[in-house]
Amino acid sequence: MDNFLPSELIARLKETGDVEIVAGIPSYNNARTIGQVVRAVAAGLGKYFPECKAIIVNSDGGSKDGTHEAVLNAEVDHSALFQVTHPVNPVRRITTAYAGIPGKGSAFRAIFAVAKHLNAKACVVVDSDLRSITPQWVELLVRPVVDREFDFIAPYYLRHKYDGTITNSIIYPMTRAMFGQQVRQPIGGDFGISGKLAARYLEKDVWETDVARFGVDIWMTLTAIAEGFRVGQSYLGAKLHDAKDPGADLTSMFRQVVGSLFGLMETYEKTWQSVEGSKAVPMFGFPFDVGLEPIPVNVERMEHAFTQGTRDLREIYVEFLSPGTLAALAECARAGDGVTFRLPDKLWVHTVYEFAAAYHRRAIDRDHLMQSLVPLYLGRTASFVLEVQESTALEVEERIEKLCEVFEAEKGYLAALWRAGAGKEKTHAGTV
Amino acid sequence: MQGLFERAFIEPFHRLAEQLKVVVPGLMTVVVILVAGGALAYVVRQAVYGLLRMVRFDRLAVRAGWAEAIERTRIFRSPSDFGARVAQGAVWLLIILFALSATGSPLTEDLLERFFRFVPDLITAILVLLLGSVISKFLARSTLLAAVNAQWAGARLLAGGVRVLVMSLAVVIALEQIRIGRTALLTSFAILFAGIVIAAAIAFGLAGRELARGWLEQRMRPQAKEEEEVFRHL
Repeated sequence: MDNFLPSELIARLKETGDVEIVAGIPSYNNARTIGQVVRAVAAGLGKYFPECKAIIVNSDGGSKDGTHEAVLNAEVDHSALFQVTHPVNPVRRITTAYAGIPGKGSAFRAIFAVAKHLNAKACVVVDSDLRSITPQWVELLVRPVVDREFDFIAPYYLRHKYDGTITNSIIYPMTRAMFGQQVRQPIGGDFGISGKLAARYLEKDVWETDVARFGVDIWMTLTAIAEGFRVGQSYLGAKLHDAKDPGADLTSMFRQVVGSLFGLMETYEKTWQSVEGSKAVPMFGFPFDVGLEPIPVNVERMEHAFTQGTRDLREIYVEFLSPGTLAALAECARAGDGVTFRLPDKLWVHTVYEFAAAYHRRAIDRDHLMQSLVPLYLGRTASFVLEVQESTALEVEERIEKLCEVFEAEKGYLAALWRAGAGKEKTHAGTV
Repeated sequence: MQGLFERAFIEPFHRLAEQLKVVVPGLMTVVVILVAGGALAYVVRQAVYGLLRMVRFDRLAVRAGWAEAIERTRIFRSPSDFGARVAQGAVWLLIILFALSATGSPLTEDLLERFFRFVPDLITAILVLLLGSVISKFLARSTLLAAVNAQWAGARLLAGGVRVLVMSLAVVIALEQIRIGRTALLTSFAILFAGIVIAAAIAFGLAGRELARGWLEQRMRPQAKEEEEVFRHL
């Protein structure tokens, strides 16, 4: 189970003994922000779980900027927190390098292994570049696990209406339609997990795959949902993190996240095909409004990307998109002229479903498939931005809800495509 | 009179009969070989077709992208049909070679020897072409996708160029393998390739030197943050 943990770490864990809560922070060159995160987590554990024995584990990918020292030296000013009770057991900290393929998944694997080794009841993982984390996040992610026997708590952030468009237009609607649970932010990055679920994650044979690199968030969420664990979500307010790479490659994101989603649909094929409709998951925390800075968006560029994609990639799309979908996309590109550009919900849903089916039957190289979805996604995003530019946050959520309903209503279309499988393959019954 | 009759008719007839005695058995052997071989080729075709259908060769061909090319020829009904007919053709080729060798003539023996020496090179050349076709298609598609996602105006032209270049290289290697116009081919390819490189260097370095400078400066200096959209997709 833990033969990939360094022997020094195992020795230290033996000294530590069993704990109730493991707080895991994966990192790679996050010296600038990780100190704040460690302080917030340590304060949260001390303030909200003073009776519990806890440990903070930093699983690091070989940082060279002093992340290790920042973790160990982060001090908590308890007096500033007005703590009524004080921790019975001081929160220990361990920082260790993880083994395996470089990536967040490998870091999580080490954290889950520590949690299993220490027989932890709950495990909380948070990103190391968070700037808006507060000690209360720890309570919101861990309390439902410890007290209410939930197994998986996803975050619920308040975001700008233009933020998280892959989540809003693909990941959330698909998660909900496929697996029947309305987890609003399935790839939030900060989660509360039961010891039982952490052990289950470790049993899976995915740690040498793309999951270990970059698909771990969606994988964790869908595994918890698909395997029948108790799932909830907690309201954490705004999420601000260090935007190290504001122009991060969209193509990589698609391969990482959407590709992982399509792959998990293959893993849990029988599960999603038997699910109908969706239901809300319990929400914890107190929803409050937060002021969000306006975000400029270059709609023209996205529309241009869509137009160019439908024109130049047509020879690729004909291999797996239906003629009706292809014609409709071309018509959108032709008809749109800035303000009036629209990509209707049903067309978008059919497009995503046809891509999922093409991924399943390997119609073309999967990397190429994901790359070819990018221009269409940008078109959808442009359409969405134009549609909601005068809308309030509440109206936008209602708009996204409508999109989700279309995803659910058209699920039969996906199921038929999936079963057809070889729909585009021709078989010949002629005799020689 | 009798002697004249014998010399004019009987002796030529005997000579013909002697020659036929030598040739006919060989001819009969060839005919038997061809007939039996034809039947064998037909059986092989049936067997190969059945085998290919059993292993779902049609589906594999669709996935590999060959099926459409095969059906476009309008000669073969399916990839399995194509495979079966290729097997039948190979058997026919062997039968013909066997029949030729059965004649025992020095000319045919020399021809056979040269053919058998040529076959490995021919097979290698065919494999090079097939591999080149697959690689050129893959690279062209990768180029197209990268260029479209980078919103380059000449994405299709660039992808087409990549495909032509890679396929040209494969053709040159294949022809060089079977020793057809070696020197002329290699020289032509070298001139063409060098010409493309020089043209690109002149276009980029001379005509587009401001663009080249800007591109290099962008690469060498730390990037300034983009002023437009900072919204996050995830």
